[in-house]
Amino acid sequence: MKYPSKSKLLIWLVQGYSYLYPMAKRWKHHFHGGIFPKYNKELSNSHPLKTQIIPSELVLSLQQHIGLAVEPLVKKGDLVQKNQCIADTKKGLNAPIHAPTSGIISAIEERMTPHASGIPNRCIILTPDFKETTLDNALQVSGHPPSSPKALKEIIYRAGIVGMGGAGFPTFAKIPDEANKIHTLLLNGAECEPFITCDDILMQTQAEDIVQGAIIVAQALGSSKVLCGIESNKPRAIKAMKIAAKNTPVEIKVVPTVYPMGGQKQLTQELTGLETAPNSHAIDTGILLMNVATYSAIYQAVKYGNPLTERLVTVSGLGLKEPFNIKALLGTHFNILAEQAYPKTSLNYPLIMGGPMMGVKMPSNLVPVLKTTNCILANPPKPVEEVYPCIRCGECMDACPINLLPQQLYWYSRSEEFNKVEELNVFDCIECGCCSFVCPSNIPLVQYYRHSKAEIRQLKLEEKATDLARNRHEARLTRLETEKTEKAARMKAKKAAVKKQALEKAKLTETGAITTPNPKKSAAARAAAARAAAKKPTPQKNTSSDSASITEDKIKPVSARDKAIAAAKKIAQEKRQLKAGSHPETLTLKNTSHLPDLDSTKKNKRKAAVQAVVQASKARVLAKKQASQFNPEYINNQDETKIHSEEVNQDVKLPEDKVIHKDHLAKKTGSKVKPNLTNDSKED
Amino acid sequence: MSSFPTSPFLHSNLSVQKLMMQVQIATLPAMLTHIFFFGWGITIQWVLALMTALLVEFIMLKMRGRPVKPYLSDLSILITVTGLVFCIPPDAPWWIIVSGTIFAVIFGKHLYGGLGYNLFNPAMLGFAFLLISFPAHMSIYTLPHTALGFQLAFMDSFNIIFGLSSQLSLDAITGATPLGIVKTAVAMGEPIQQEATYSLFSALQFGAGWAWINLAFFIGGLWMLYTRSIRWQYPVAFLGSLSLIAFIFHTIDPTKYASVSFHLFSGGTMLAAFFIITDPVTSSTTPRGRLIYAACIGVLLYIIRNWGAFPDAIAFAILLMNMCVPLIDQYTQPRVFGHRHLLDKKSND
Repeated sequence: MKYPSKSKLLIWLVQGYSYLYPMAKRWKHHFHGGIFPKYNKELSNSHPLKTQIIPSELVLSLQQHIGLAVEPLVKKGDLVQKNQCIADTKKGLNAPIHAPTSGIISAIEERMTPHASGIPNRCIILTPDFKETTLDNALQVSGHPPSSPKALKEIIYRAGIVGMGGAGFPTFAKIPDEANKIHTLLLNGAECEPFITCDDILMQTQAEDIVQGAIIVAQALGSSKVLCGIESNKPRAIKAMKIAAKNTPVEIKVVPTVYPMGGQKQLTQELTGLETAPNSHAIDTGILLMNVATYSAIYQAVKYGNPLTERLVTVSGLGLKEPFNIKALLGTHFNILAEQAYPKTSLNYPLIMGGPMMGVKMPSNLVPVLKTTNCILANPPKPVEEVYPCIRCGECMDACPINLLPQQLYWYSRSEEFNKVEELNVFDCIECGCCSFVCPSNIPLVQYYRHSKAEIRQLKLEEKATDLARNRHEARLTRLETEKTEKAARMKAKKAAVKKQALEKAKLTETGAITTPNPKKSAAARAAAARAAAKKPTPQKNTSSDSASITEDKIKPVSARDKAIAAAKKIAQEKRQLKAGSHPETLTLKNTSHLPDLDSTKKNKRKAAVQAVVQASKARVLAKKQASQFNPEYINNQDETKIHSEEVNQDVKLPEDKVIHKDHLAKKTGSKVKPNLTNDSKED
Repeated sequence: MSSFPTSPFLHSNLSVQKLMMQVQIATLPAMLTHIFFFGWGITIQWVLALMTALLVEFIMLKMRGRPVKPYLSDLSILITVTGLVFCIPPDAPWWIIVSGTIFAVIFGKHLYGGLGYNLFNPAMLGFAFLLISFPAHMSIYTLPHTALGFQLAFMDSFNIIFGLSSQLSLDAITGATPLGIVKTAVAMGEPIQQEATYSLFSALQFGAGWAWINLAFFIGGLWMLYTRSIRWQYPVAFLGSLSLIAFIFHTIDPTKYASVSFHLFSGGTMLAAFFIITDPVTSSTTPRGRLIYAACIGVLLYIIRNWGAFPDAIAFAILLMNMCVPLIDQYTQPRVFGHRHLLDKKSND
């Protein structure tokens, strides 16, 4: 979708005017709103890059990013070399982890990781031996740029590269499998968050790597255009990048300094003029945007076979005397880095991972650097400001880069009218924090939206569960109904059998070939058979039609129940995934995909069993009918036959039980059947 | 801020108090002009109104069980008081402003739940209450010193307001407002007088206090636009629609309908344009909604001025549109990034 954006002329006119009217700065960029906070970037980028430190312990979380946690490949006591792969998994969305330095695995245990929840994660604890014995070309690459997207994806995956701007989506998953799908490749060097300067420093020091990395990706994907957007407040980075990009297809574009310019959709619009529709992905639009640090990591992997084991981290904040940037080993503790910057007061307040606008306050300062850690921020706590009622001033609306109505969202979030909140597109909110930043009443707006989003998700899950329960209940009613009819049918069959037996005996008595040892009993049996025959004048036709309906009915409720069980499983799975913050699609697919298989095998078995029973009963009925023709006189002695028929009834139940048992077996084997991906989860 | 467990951890220097203070400061030029032309009456009224408002606020907050200090210190009461004071005759008896303020604060603000929750502009609600309850007192206005030929002393105004004995009687210093004169003329079927067809320049030259006060409000309003205390949509749409409709009728029959500049610079036009309709609490919040809201007030203002029962109409025009705000908001939601236009979506569905 392309909408007419602000004309170049207007932007040009504003250039001069913005000195007269400060907020005219908002007209300079293409997306709506935005804010101009105090950037404080000079705190950290005025100091030279700090030399690397190897701490006495590295904590490598098995959950470094969005997606699945990886499994350790090493065990306690193992000696590892630098760049050696120490954890990966065969499953879906993940990125392997490599040892940042050589040393001994001292433990694999739960440790606190940089996540707001404060829930510990499994981590590999590496005690460095300070020898730095390195595995050269750990990824065993040829050093030549890969020619196909698949080859590139392979290297990127094995290098464990994730988006390094902060979101941390495994990079290989962003790249399409086929060439020529991405026509424009974008480099995100905007770095719009205050305080953070790690990308700025990276562009100044490793411009060549970034540009070469971009060229490698562009060649592999067949992209015709490569654009790099850098905010105008980084003149040194712009200069370095322009020099590196000389005579290459990479174009360096200076974009206005405004928060949140570095947002994926915002920068895409600024550079290409295209608005990304909600829920659409890079492949849909033909545009791929990655952080400059990601390109640099790709270059390192493709050229030298170096996996991602270290990253540039900004250590800054108003509470530090000498903020700096450092190439930190993954797994270095936050407080070790922060202490290096000479804190003004002791660090008894929580550090923030990321910038002040979108960062996460740490539950503890003893958390390790992740692949996504771009900044460690030490801002001493400020006095609490009074929250006033919303005066509907509209500052938040003017600041919103998505053009939402934050004030109305807040209104409905507060009154918990979640359907309205959803109608106002709360799920388009990128939680950039612009609205909270400008709010004169100091209302924590973003917090309200997060709460609303979580509530809506929860409500939807509950709604699903309710539907499920209702379906289950209905299924149960149908099942009970069917069982009733079945029972009736079985009774009929039994009576027919008894009659047949009686008939046989009668025959014997009549011919006199065998003398009955107990004449009373045989008489009773005969009487029962006769009575049954008299009661049921047209058993044959009825049974056959009944049996048809039984076969159908029986399958329906059971499969509905299975569906319900499967759906419940799925929901449970989703819940678990949500908790883990992982990607929902992959797992769900796997889990439900075997269902149709299971269903069909079960159906078949059940059908066969039912048909067998029905056939048997048919035969018996037929025999009984014949018998009744011969023995019309025995009608009495009802009590005994009743008892007898019930006894037999239990016998007949046996095959039915067996069928159920077989079903269980089928379920067990069915779940082991390899997922069939062609059958998707439409079942529910 | 730091007390919030989640981001953002930064905040701009905007605050409710700052916004309210900016609006208050922007009324200063008009206040000074008012004192110059009509004497000290307005300052007495302002102090009276403020004292009353603070007292009523205090009582109401106590009764509602709300914390008094933060809610009194949000300075929103200043705006209500100032808006109301500029609307009443400067030498009206003291109980006029006192009853108007009490009504405005109780019925306009606290019964709805206080700041941010009121449906109607409190100042305009108080003004409308006074217009309907005491039409006689509200229609006679102190004449500017250029018409009286002398400056009113502070004690003169004080004595008149509090009904103390004075050499001057209220009748001697008051008269009908220009809007009232025009209204009467139109009602009598006479051609409107020269004053109503003046150009802005001549009006200022001849020292018509009304035009000067409106000009002062205009200047204050421009400053508020610059500091972003108010949004441009309100004055632009309001003054635009008022000018347009006034121009059309004036062109049709100049002897019956006053000129554009007369409408723009008399009565409470500029006060409404920059200080009353811009009240964010009671106006539409979407950009297009603001345009519609303000433009409709402009049209209503003209209609009521010309064909209604009252000479000036800002109170009724604004209150009527206050009622329409939820409706306007509903239908003027802006297009969300990456989404299609609301209308596109509907037609495609």
